[in-house]
Amino acid sequence: MDIASLGGDLLGTIPLGDIVLYLTPFHLFMFVVVLIFTGLIAISRSETQVEASFKTLKDNKVSVGLEEFKIRRFLAIVCGLATAGAMITGDLFNFTLFVTLIGIINVGIVSAVKQIDVLDAAYNYGIIAMIASLPLFGGASIILASTGTLSLFEIAKIATTAPMMTFGAILLLIGIAGETGTAPFFASKAEMFRTPGSPFILIIHLSSLMVIIRAIEILLIIVKVI
Amino acid sequence: MLVPDFVPAITASFYIPAIYVGIIVAFIGLMGIAIEKRDIQILILTDIVGLAMLIVVAATGTDLAEALILPGLVVELAEILAISEILISREMRKIEAKNGNDITTSVFPLPLTLDMEVLTTAPNFIVLIMLGFGAFLTGFTGGAVAGGGILLYVISRKSRGLPIAVIDGISGISGMAWCLWIIGFLLFFLTPELWLLSLFMAACGLVLKVTSKIGLIGTMMREEYKRE
Repeated sequence: MDIASLGGDLLGTIPLGDIVLYLTPFHLFMFVVVLIFTGLIAISRSETQVEASFKTLKDNKVSVGLEEFKIRRFLAIVCGLATAGAMITGDLFNFTLFVTLIGIINVGIVSAVKQIDVLDAAYNYGIIAMIASLPLFGGASIILASTGTLSLFEIAKIATTAPMMTFGAILLLIGIAGETGTAPFFASKAEMFRTPGSPFILIIHLSSLMVIIRAIEILLIIVKVI
Repeated sequence: MLVPDFVPAITASFYIPAIYVGIIVAFIGLMGIAIEKRDIQILILTDIVGLAMLIVVAATGTDLAEALILPGLVVELAEILAISEILISREMRKIEAKNGNDITTSVFPLPLTLDMEVLTTAPNFIVLIMLGFGAFLTGFTGGAVAGGGILLYVISRKSRGLPIAVIDGISGISGMAWCLWIIGFLLFFLTPELWLLSLFMAACGLVLKVTSKIGLIGTMMREEYKRE
């Protein structure tokens, strides 16, 4: 599909040599939404989990120390900024780099916790994210090889879809799904949410949701099915 | 039509075999991951899949693809560092859970002593040569050489039991040098007339950044040595 029917009227382009960035209302809206969420997370305080103890009436409070809180807030803000960058970028490879950055930071946010189960889940998620970087970067480079450009603005002008472009787009989809830990790989990621420190954990969810929406737009730009 | 005329046909025909090689390498790596049960082995085998990613990106063979390999490699390294950190901290938590919370565990289970002759005889001379050569080279390679010099200096001082002057802001220097590099790159695009200035800004920023990064490893090593 063309850019106008996917993201609304073209507001303007930023020509930077080979990379032509472009702005549409869709991108701007997503960008601002992610920035607002990042701001909310930056000013919020961490939660304290209350676990019911077995065989007693006491509650077990799991709170986050100041040092850990600071590191986690910083990583959450970086994750929000990376998501915002993935929303607005007009370059396919920059998009893949932002997605991998989100993947690394998601592992980093939970890396300081004390629960062994959470660390196990983070390890599995990290392994999946590392394996998924093969289809992610491979798909982007195959699209580069079959179109000659990485700028989505230029790719949208190409009238037909070559078979290699479809192959690259499928690889890209697998890579994004693995890197953000959505549908088939969700089992590796779900356990990570048992970590205390809620608002910072939420950015893991939010980033993957937003990235998937943007990824669908990018895939529709590359593969002209409709 | 995408491949320019001056590229020989045999070079262009290497693309599909290279993609196949990448897929086969990734398949071998994934088979290893599926068979292996130990976590550390899985982590090492995952690097093979990352290698296959580099093969697929490199198969494109243009200068743009070359520019994509470096971020790919960096991302791969960062992920492997992050996951190994997770593994280390999980093992530490397991030991702590077994021993009780009051005993703090070290990442380094064994005391590390280096007893090599080169560390006591002529480290200062070698370090001076490496620093000078690194400053002369500039850029990425120069930074690596100069940083290696600093690392050798720290190790040799420590192995002789001498105190080391610690600069706490060393990561700050690295960050600022990185900004210099970025500004140099931006100047390249905005004002191409100032190419010499931007080239030197980028090269000097890079040499400072890589030097201080590797020097940072030296400072971290010092902390590990204290555990003896």
